[in-house]
Amino acid sequence: MAEVSLQNISRRYGDQVALDDVTMTVPDGAFVVLLGPTGAGKTTTLRMVSGLDKPDVGKVLINGEDVSRHTPAQRNVAMVFQQYSLYPHLSVRQNLAFPLKSPMLRTPEDEITRKVAEVAETLQISHKLDNKATELSGGEMQRVSIGRALVRDLQIYLMDEPLSSLDAKLRSDLRIVLKRIQTSLGATMLYVTHDQIEAMTMATHVGVLDHGKLVQFGPPREIYQNPVSIYAASRLGSPKINILPADVFPAAPGGAHSIGLRPEHIGIGEGAETRVVRVEHLGDQTRLHLSLNGHDLITLTDPHSPLAKGDTLRISPQSPLYFDANGDRIT
Amino acid sequence: MSASPIDRAAQATPKGLARRIRGLSDRAIAWLFVGPSIVLLLAVNIFPLIWTINLSFTNFKANRLREAKFIGLRNYERILTDTDTWNSMQATAHFLFWTIFFQVLIGFTLAYLINKKFKGNDMWTTIIVLPMMLSPAVVGNFWTFLYQPQIGLFNYVIEFFTGVDSSSFSMIGDVNLAPWSIVIVDTWMWTPFVMLICLAGLRSIPDSIYEAAECDRASKWRQFWTLTIPMALPFLMLAVLFRGIENFKMFDLVVQLTGGGPGSLTTLTSIDLKREAFEKWRTGYASAYAVILFVTVFGLASIYVKALNKVKER
Repeated sequence: MAEVSLQNISRRYGDQVALDDVTMTVPDGAFVVLLGPTGAGKTTTLRMVSGLDKPDVGKVLINGEDVSRHTPAQRNVAMVFQQYSLYPHLSVRQNLAFPLKSPMLRTPEDEITRKVAEVAETLQISHKLDNKATELSGGEMQRVSIGRALVRDLQIYLMDEPLSSLDAKLRSDLRIVLKRIQTSLGATMLYVTHDQIEAMTMATHVGVLDHGKLVQFGPPREIYQNPVSIYAASRLGSPKINILPADVFPAAPGGAHSIGLRPEHIGIGEGAETRVVRVEHLGDQTRLHLSLNGHDLITLTDPHSPLAKGDTLRISPQSPLYFDANGDRIT
Repeated sequence: MSASPIDRAAQATPKGLARRIRGLSDRAIAWLFVGPSIVLLLAVNIFPLIWTINLSFTNFKANRLREAKFIGLRNYERILTDTDTWNSMQATAHFLFWTIFFQVLIGFTLAYLINKKFKGNDMWTTIIVLPMMLSPAVVGNFWTFLYQPQIGLFNYVIEFFTGVDSSSFSMIGDVNLAPWSIVIVDTWMWTPFVMLICLAGLRSIPDSIYEAAECDRASKWRQFWTLTIPMALPFLMLAVLFRGIENFKMFDLVVQLTGGGPGSLTTLTSIDLKREAFEKWRTGYASAYAVILFVTVFGLASIYVKALNKVKER
């Protein structure tokens, strides 16, 4: 059982506001993905939960207990660092065993060996166990770093872009592995990523951060379908949501400044006339880059579309999102 | 074709010179660059060394006109059986061991404290480093005043803290204290140097390593012994190497401070050697002495550097 709750957390570094009154409750067993560009406060949020950093204002609660002043060791969380932070003078095996050798745990030696072997197997680094940590590629280091967190069966894991330096194949493998481990342990996970697919496939909840503020928190589907602002809408979805002036299509509600259209929310056949600028055949789908009165937009069509550059076609919005002049959602 | 700096340099080279250079192989050009340094090295390093070895087998005296006579290993035999030599070797060993011991211990501790982020640590670093910037001769000279039994500050401080009468002991004059008097001064002067190297070592360990250890629930004590020390070890060993080599040839500070006395208690090998060579003018004998010291230092240093490389590779 591990419910993590942040209450009105603020943190500044000098003049820089890293977190601004963030309140978020992560239910037990949730997989939370934090989204936002660099400097939005994602890593700081993880550091608050881990205890590596203390909030200026606000409280961190784990299972209802105020742990704001507890050390990372007392909180008993595992963290995967973006910069790996392996112990460079130790071998991979020693790196993986390091957390288990804590005097607080008193893990027996054969248990350590078994656990290290198991984790190395899972992360496909068994053949590198005797290498020094510095003799690894970026992707291998990253996996050791994940492994160092996974050797302990914990209730809370914090991962800061753990799959960013892996190649596509390994990344999709480990995505599944991480999700499986998290589910089987029933652990609570806070996870930072820039990857759309990771966010959509792994998360039970997504938190969207903007300049230290939590602008939206909820299941990924909800954020995808019901974003509170253009900013939140742009965090999820690939290709990105099309944002156009509201008046390019008729029937915009009053106060609407822009209209947001997911690529799949564009009906082809009737409506405003557009010109095809580019056609991308991706195999399972075809992306159409269109130009509508000088505005670019992207939509999807069937894989065998005969459309070519220069063709014209008519489009109309389907379940559009409208935003006001500040970028906030109105309907 | 775009003109790279090399192309442009080639075009700027005068025609005649260019023709001559073009005839040279890469290897020849390499030799052209390295040549001057090699010649210089041979002239001021290698040749004197060989000449010294040559002289060490003779009874040559630089202040006499008579022809040097080859006497084989007689010089070596006399040096190695001379109790005075062994005494000065022992004095040197004592000096070396304890100066390195204290300097590394205190230097590392200071570096560890200075490395903590606190206000004004830059200012403290500057203050701590000051002794190192003084001339050893000056340091030796003014410590003779500090060690003065009647008016010396050192003796006064000792009296202040321990109650021992300040005029009852003389650091420089006492047979038991004199070897320690030079250890204290050298430690005072060179600990900052060791501190700087240790500081470089500690600063090379990124904070994130400690943060990871923090999350892995390693205590501060365990972090210190399993992370800080092993990662700073190559730097520590480098500091020991530098101080070892420097102190093996210690001369000015000790000459100014104790003049090698009382008796010959603080006569380090370099002082002994200088006296043989330039006061007694036993050039051949001193040459043999120098060769023995050279082989000793060279041997020890090679073994040590090998160990150092091994630690770095870990």
